[in-house]
Amino acid sequence: MAPRLIYLHGLAGGPELSPAVAGLTDIDVIAPVLPGFDGGPGFEPPSDHLGWLTLVWDALDATGALPCPVIGASVGGMLAAELAVLRPEAVTRLALLAPLGLFDADDPGEDPFAVPGPARLPLLFSSDVPTPFLESFPDREPAEQLVARFLVQVAAASLVWPFPDRGLAGRLHRLTAPTLLVWGEADRIAPVALAERWPADERVHVPGAGHMVEWDAPEQVGSALQKWVS
Amino acid sequence: MKLLWFHLMPYPELPEDFRQRASSVWVDIPSDLLDARVVADSYNLYLDQLEHADAVGFDGICVNEHHQNGYGLMPSPNLMAAALTRRTERAAIVVMGNSLALYNPPVRVAEEFAMLDCMSNGRLVAGFPVGTPMDTVFCYGQNPGTLRRKYHEAHDLIMRAWKEPEPFAFNGEFTQLRYVNPWPRPLQRPHPPVWIPGGGSIETWEWTAEMDYVYCYLSYFGYKLGKATMDGFWQRIEQLGYDDNPYRAGFLQFVGVADTDEEAMRLYKEPAEYFYGRCLHVNPGFADPPGYQSEATVRGKVQSMVAQAARSGGGPGGPLTWEDMVDKGYVIVGSPDTVREKLEEVATSLRVGHLMLLLQFGNMHPELVQQNTDLFADKVLPGLRGLWSDYEDRWWPEACA
Repeated sequence: MAPRLIYLHGLAGGPELSPAVAGLTDIDVIAPVLPGFDGGPGFEPPSDHLGWLTLVWDALDATGALPCPVIGASVGGMLAAELAVLRPEAVTRLALLAPLGLFDADDPGEDPFAVPGPARLPLLFSSDVPTPFLESFPDREPAEQLVARFLVQVAAASLVWPFPDRGLAGRLHRLTAPTLLVWGEADRIAPVALAERWPADERVHVPGAGHMVEWDAPEQVGSALQKWVS
Repeated sequence: MKLLWFHLMPYPELPEDFRQRASSVWVDIPSDLLDARVVADSYNLYLDQLEHADAVGFDGICVNEHHQNGYGLMPSPNLMAAALTRRTERAAIVVMGNSLALYNPPVRVAEEFAMLDCMSNGRLVAGFPVGTPMDTVFCYGQNPGTLRRKYHEAHDLIMRAWKEPEPFAFNGEFTQLRYVNPWPRPLQRPHPPVWIPGGGSIETWEWTAEMDYVYCYLSYFGYKLGKATMDGFWQRIEQLGYDDNPYRAGFLQFVGVADTDEEAMRLYKEPAEYFYGRCLHVNPGFADPPGYQSEATVRGKVQSMVAQAARSGGGPGGPLTWEDMVDKGYVIVGSPDTVREKLEEVATSLRVGHLMLLLQFGNMHPELVQQNTDLFADKVLPGLRGLWSDYEDRWWPEACA
């Protein structure tokens, strides 16, 4: 059996794996959908961070893949980092792609939720919004597709409102897993200057790429990830 | 019918080029447009206007809560209500209201409303709005995905605090208190009438109906557009098996009275254009944060949106003109007879027993506010008061009956 890793998607959900992650060789990628991001009805967001972590860790434990390497993008990076600092035995290697979790009030970036709905996704990319995000939940009726995409945004907003800082900075000293940090230099919602505040063994900054760096620069990010998992 | 005088307390000196200078009247309105001297003068003037409404016979005077807002200078309506308790004698003091999730802990609302009820000798109406997304999730940082749960929990805590005779422990999801025991308690027992202001969210009026509270539809867009919401509210009341007492409902309406229809059209154009042009210049990005509206509301809107798009291929556009505002009923202006007839139509078509009137709006000159208020009190109000006289208003302070 090939070794496995867990991939945690970002703010916009995970309609499908990016080419950078899907193209990894010699390793199986397990990509659970984060709680609330499946577009299903009736999700009640937890009222605190511990409630969120409990839901997420239940989902990760259910994969049976831990301990293993973990890749986390955006809000998935925040959750992957929380896992690595609070359950260090569960994460053998860590790759963070523009992780949320730290916030600089003097350089807050753009608020992805203070724009009208149709303008939210474009804020996350420097390139055009990839088709999988525009056409997510294709097997549902047209109206229900819109509702499901809305529910993904509800989960995302609930998880990070009013901005993604739940005290992770005070826990990062516990990070022991070898860590790769990748950041797009044109990230509009998590400014690249935040990268300096993250501990990392290896750093890759991608000129011109936005918050969803793996979609904006698939070859560069895919290459860095392949090297890191090999 | 009860006729109430409602003040938003707008900042009266937003510049003519406000829409070019500011991205929004709310949340991130530029502070360099604010002159505290203008606010100081406005507060005193506006309190005078509310006191005058009491003196000339309006049944209630209303204040409300907004934050970081150029058309609503009342982050704390309770402060204004406190001032009014001392300078008014008869009118109900309707605080529309306290956005419950913003008070930490929410027993603060139980305490301050109890104070206001005692200070006013039992004239308080307690308004419990969820609050707009601008006020709650952007200005006060509340999580839109949990806001309504927090609101309902706060409501339950406040009602228990007013009703339970002994101190109790409250173990909520958002508030934990070992000892709940407000002093003072309201003069009205077990509590003041509860009104729920809303902007048309389905979940708000459904819950209000179930709780047997008064639902107040606070729309700036007139009775014609308000009909669908109020029809939904009354259908829910019928489903619940409740009576159709019109005092279960309230509605907000802009009104301008003059001696003739022509004079009214001339007098009220500028303040209406100020309000709709500058005061409602809100960044659309603040209007609908994900989670503020429930899944059911969004599903309903999406389905109607998809159907509408299929039918028409798009909606109407273009700027709002003064004639539009009048034609669409956003603003009711005219002679006393004209206004009375239209308000009777509003009240009967929406079936509302509490009509909240904005007789000051935008940058209306104080003399025109007084003229509008006095003409209404003298020549419009007497002809409307008898409406719904067959019904008992169970949601009105006894001290004001």
